[in-house]
Amino acid sequence: MIQVTDLQKQFKTLRKKEGAAGGLRTLLSRDYQVKEAVGGISFAIEPGEFVGYIGPNGAGKSTTIKMLAGILHPTSGTVSICGMSPHRERRRVTRRLGVLFGQRTGLWWDLPVKDSYDILAAMYGQDNRVKETRLAQLSELLALGEFIDTPVRKLSLGQRMRADIAAALLHDPDILFLDEPTIGLDMIAKRSIRNFLKQINCELGKTILLTTHDMDDIEQLCKRVMVINHGKLGFDGSIDRLRSRIGLPTKIRVCYASQVPPCGSLPDTRLQLISQEGRTLTISCNREELSAMEALRLLEQLGIIEDVHMEEPDFEDIVHQIY
Amino acid sequence: MIKWLRMYRLLIAASIRSRMEYRFNFWFSTLMAVIINVVEFLMLAVILLKFGHIKGWTMEECGYLYAVLTLSKAIYRTAASDVHHLEKYLVGGDLDALLLRPIPILLALMSQNFQLKAGELIQGTAILTICMGVMIRQGQMTWTAIPLTMVVIMSGAVLLFAIGLLTATAGFWILRIEELQNITEDAARTAAQYPMSIYPNWLQWLLIGGIPVAFANYLPSLYIVRQQMDWWIIPLSCAVAFLVLGAALAAWRVGISRYQSTGS
Repeated sequence: MIQVTDLQKQFKTLRKKEGAAGGLRTLLSRDYQVKEAVGGISFAIEPGEFVGYIGPNGAGKSTTIKMLAGILHPTSGTVSICGMSPHRERRRVTRRLGVLFGQRTGLWWDLPVKDSYDILAAMYGQDNRVKETRLAQLSELLALGEFIDTPVRKLSLGQRMRADIAAALLHDPDILFLDEPTIGLDMIAKRSIRNFLKQINCELGKTILLTTHDMDDIEQLCKRVMVINHGKLGFDGSIDRLRSRIGLPTKIRVCYASQVPPCGSLPDTRLQLISQEGRTLTISCNREELSAMEALRLLEQLGIIEDVHMEEPDFEDIVHQIY
Repeated sequence: MIKWLRMYRLLIAASIRSRMEYRFNFWFSTLMAVIINVVEFLMLAVILLKFGHIKGWTMEECGYLYAVLTLSKAIYRTAASDVHHLEKYLVGGDLDALLLRPIPILLALMSQNFQLKAGELIQGTAILTICMGVMIRQGQMTWTAIPLTMVVIMSGAVLLFAIGLLTATAGFWILRIEELQNITEDAARTAAQYPMSIYPNWLQWLLIGGIPVAFANYLPSLYIVRQQMDWWIIPLSCAVAFLVLGAALAAWRVGISRYQSTGS
């Protein structure tokens, strides 16, 4: 369904010249600075898959999505969406694609949500009856009813995201590209968006490619994960394989009731000491090998525990561990 | 083609409804545009009233040149307002959203932020009617000048659009185009408001061969108003307009493939 072969994108920027007439000299110079955003990635996505695409900021995620959607033209390599090239047959490909950029809306900012759907339906040449059935279906799924007549600029972020998802699905595309659909949302809104996405994938059978910074999105939705860093694909496989590769690294900070002796050796080799400050120890362990309760039981041997604080590692750390 | 025209109309309607959300701003900006235009024309009128003519061009003839160009520009900017503001889309990455839709990008861009240049249209029509009325009564031109003038206005609108599009397209390479627009659009058009014979030779040739705004009003009026040229200047002017348009569309297609978007 989606076939990407050796895809590359380089951005050329002119090196700025300093001093008087610097602007003019910049304009005339051929002194380019080439930055490689995506450096030769290949993958294939089959119909019905739900694939997570993750990586730190600036890794090339958005650039990849933009090339898949036909916004950017690749420097080299090929993209094929349902057998078509998104930059050569952009208009035909957009009919098979629904794209959502979480940071921006694709709706008409000053108009009621309904108007945007009318315009989009006209663009895709949908007749009125098809549009109404489709809208009724999406409205039920995404609970659009409460704000369908409100101008987009007055929607809350969660509402806007739902409205945008509906807009991406209105023309019944086979494929959805979602670029950070949960960004900036609170827990409840995130949860409801995830439920919608799960339904869209399972019940409507859409193929979904999702980029996100939220590990929970990935864990709950995607069966397959691709990790990109510095423009290269570092991992492509099931979520289970990713988990076994990185484990579940956890940081535990334990505060004891009384001073603990400076401990060079911890009670178990599966615990590693990160730092010690007075009565507080910071320890790391892998919850794949050692459950949190077990770890605490072991740490109790050092003294009476007053307070415990556990930290999941942040996303960037996980990605860095893959390399 | 019909399909795209219908789409264009639909998007323009949406654009007007969006603007009407801010009614005060809409009417206020329309009013300001009218005032600016009147002031601009008063300057020309003062010169004419003082000297009676510019290099042998009478008041009506100068008014004709001015009005034809004003109408061409008003039509271009009304029909394709945001082509002039492409820079904003390139710098802010707003072209992304347009590229995701199953319609030509240029069509999407032309229908964004529709602005009816009512002031310029009314003023241009008024001046043109007065000047042509006087000249027809004096026997300087006949009624056939009316359809010819309409053709010239439309071909001028196409020409100004093509020049504007070509300039905007440069933005795909150099990103910031405001300064360039000052020269190719604003300066060149302001120059063409006056009879070109007042300029030194090199400037006349620049406005014919370089930035060919002379074909929008001056050269056709040499035939329609002053009979100093033959009829072929009219089809030639149209041909030049569509030639530049063809070049602009070709450049546009290359430009789109160079679009870099922005980081998110």
